[in-house]
Amino acid sequence: MSVKGRVSGRRAVNNQIRGPQSALTDFLASNNISAAQISADYERRQREARQQQEQEAAANGESVDQINDDERVEIAAQKKKRKRQQEKTLAKIKESKDYKRQKKRKDEGHDGENDDVAWDMYTKKKPLPGQLDNCENCEKRFTVTAYSKTGPDGGLLCTKCSKEQEDQKKKDQKSKKQAVSRDKRRHVQSNLLDGIVQIGSKTLQELCIKEVANNIHEVDEFGDLPQSLLNRLSQILSRRRVITSRTLDLFLRPDLETIDVYDCGKLETEDYIKLFSVVPKVQNLDLRNAGQFKDEVVDYVIERDVPIRSLQLEAANLVSNGKWAEFFKNCGHRLENLKLSWLDYSMDDDTFIGLVRHCPNIKRLKMKKCFRLGDSALVAMTDLTQLEHLSISFPTATTPGVLADLISSIGPGLRTLSLEGFSDTDDDALSVIHSSCTQLSKLRFTENDCCTDIGFASLFTNWSNPGLAFIDFSSNRSVDYAVPDGPEDPVGLASEGFEALMGHSGSRLERLDISSCRHITYECFSKVFDGKKQYPILKDINISFLTKIDTSIVAGMFRSCPELIKVTAFGCFKVTGVAVPKGVALIGVPNAQDSIVQEGDLDADLWQGLKV
Amino acid sequence: MAASSSPYVTLISNDGFEFIIRREAACVAGTIKKMLDPQSACALPFDVHAHAVIYTMRVTILTSQNNHSGVVLEKVCEYLYYNLKHKDEKDVPDMEIPPELCLELLMAADYLHV
Repeated sequence: MSVKGRVSGRRAVNNQIRGPQSALTDFLASNNISAAQISADYERRQREARQQQEQEAAANGESVDQINDDERVEIAAQKKKRKRQQEKTLAKIKESKDYKRQKKRKDEGHDGENDDVAWDMYTKKKPLPGQLDNCENCEKRFTVTAYSKTGPDGGLLCTKCSKEQEDQKKKDQKSKKQAVSRDKRRHVQSNLLDGIVQIGSKTLQELCIKEVANNIHEVDEFGDLPQSLLNRLSQILSRRRVITSRTLDLFLRPDLETIDVYDCGKLETEDYIKLFSVVPKVQNLDLRNAGQFKDEVVDYVIERDVPIRSLQLEAANLVSNGKWAEFFKNCGHRLENLKLSWLDYSMDDDTFIGLVRHCPNIKRLKMKKCFRLGDSALVAMTDLTQLEHLSISFPTATTPGVLADLISSIGPGLRTLSLEGFSDTDDDALSVIHSSCTQLSKLRFTENDCCTDIGFASLFTNWSNPGLAFIDFSSNRSVDYAVPDGPEDPVGLASEGFEALMGHSGSRLERLDISSCRHITYECFSKVFDGKKQYPILKDINISFLTKIDTSIVAGMFRSCPELIKVTAFGCFKVTGVAVPKGVALIGVPNAQDSIVQEGDLDADLWQGLKV
Repeated sequence: MAASSSPYVTLISNDGFEFIIRREAACVAGTIKKMLDPQSACALPFDVHAHAVIYTMRVTILTSQNNHSGVVLEKVCEYLYYNLKHKDEKDVPDMEIPPELCLELLMAADYLHV
């Protein structure tokens, strides 16, 4: 009743008989908007615009002509293109089966022109959805839908063939993506620079650690991950610089004895205090870039008597000299390893003397880039009788004699010795090393231009020390610009010294760095790496900036060192197109393209070829 | 020693899922390899049947956290085959690891030495 009433009411307002109209028109009408009015308005606007254009055209006929000309040229070009395409398609049609069949039919009937048939097919409309057609691929009859795909020859495909074609397309796209993955290539090169040549897949651990690192912000706790994995995670997260107060928490567990954080740049003073309060039994502490490691943190360590035995701090410049002294006095007796680096504000000679007095048990000492240490510190070091590992690099100049005295007094106990940048030291130091060090396995002596080749040769001649596993003699060369080839009696590590070195340690050597020792001659290299002499466990060689080295020397190196995994050769411009054995990373050669990787062993023919 | 020459190995998770995989693949995991090596100290007593059955101790640790050890072990098996497939290739695409599993999988990987 009520419905009827409403209907009749409407009729009363709009007393007309009309055809069906859309819901939109209905709605517009109810809001007093007329669809007819809108379309009339639109047409009027169009008409007006057209009239205006014509008027303008009449007013400046010339320019319009010109524009028209341009348009015409464009149109002509388009026309040409279209025609070309048309011809192409027609040619294709002429080759297709369908065409031949139709033509045959037509020929039987009456002899029309060839082109006509093709033309017919070209212009023939594709069947509309709902109609039947034969599939282009499988020739089956099927119902055309809006989703039917066009086949390679322009005909329609049935549902099954359509799907297959789509799948194929997707597959092609995917494989293309993988092939041209730039990021991937970048990654491989980056790994290569780190000396990692990967054959086979990564380990599951490595994959998982990466995934954890990628999702570090969603991890609430690590659970009881073993120390080695925590260390690896810390390395990755530090490299990505995401060790913050929050992520640090993940690494803190009361039962831990070792904490390694390789980038503390984002940690605050409170974070260090939190570290010691959560992990009160920490014994081995390694904090790099620890700029906010301040006096108050040291106070906390002293107060809680944290049992630190091994301490490595980098750039902890806000710890004052007085606080260092207090720390050594209270905690020094426990210290066995101490590594401090990049200290330019505190830690002077007097503090260091305090260190020596209070830390008699130090076995491993590393003082790098400590700007305020000098001769007095070296003198004081002679009292560290327990020392087994010493690594020093002082930015300030020191007296050669003092260093020689130090080595002669602690040398017999040393297992590793690293002297970086003692540029004024002369052959005396080398002869002291020769006479007093008898159980070294690692020796680094770099950036010196006073020691002579004879000095190096006599160091390695009849040395009672067994063969070294690690040798770094980089940048031992003459730096007189007036005499680029060096004086007649070679200065720095040159041919004689290098031969003596390889003769002495070759059989036990694992890592060798002779970068920038540019007075070693080509003859010497070809003698040492002749492909016959074997260096059975040599894994890592750095020959950067030895410009005399060429492809055949490097090839000889691959032959002489069966265990080689990494060769660093920056600035060796004569090394080109060398065949790199599988599993070896050759870094820094001029063209950064993929090196030619030799599968399996180098065979003799190739070897001969390289020699030439 | 008929069992030791069987080409398949059964891995059983703590929640009862069994995974029968090729011996080759199983030996990708250092721990399993040791278990299967009769010379090694931690060799397992072999079952009289065709399969060498391994009750990985690890699996107990996995389940102590939650009950998904079957899922984790499945992923481990997937990795073992993935590793075998890409043994001598260069630039191997990384296997997808579901983020929610990665920590448990990491523990499993550490135990199994893969």
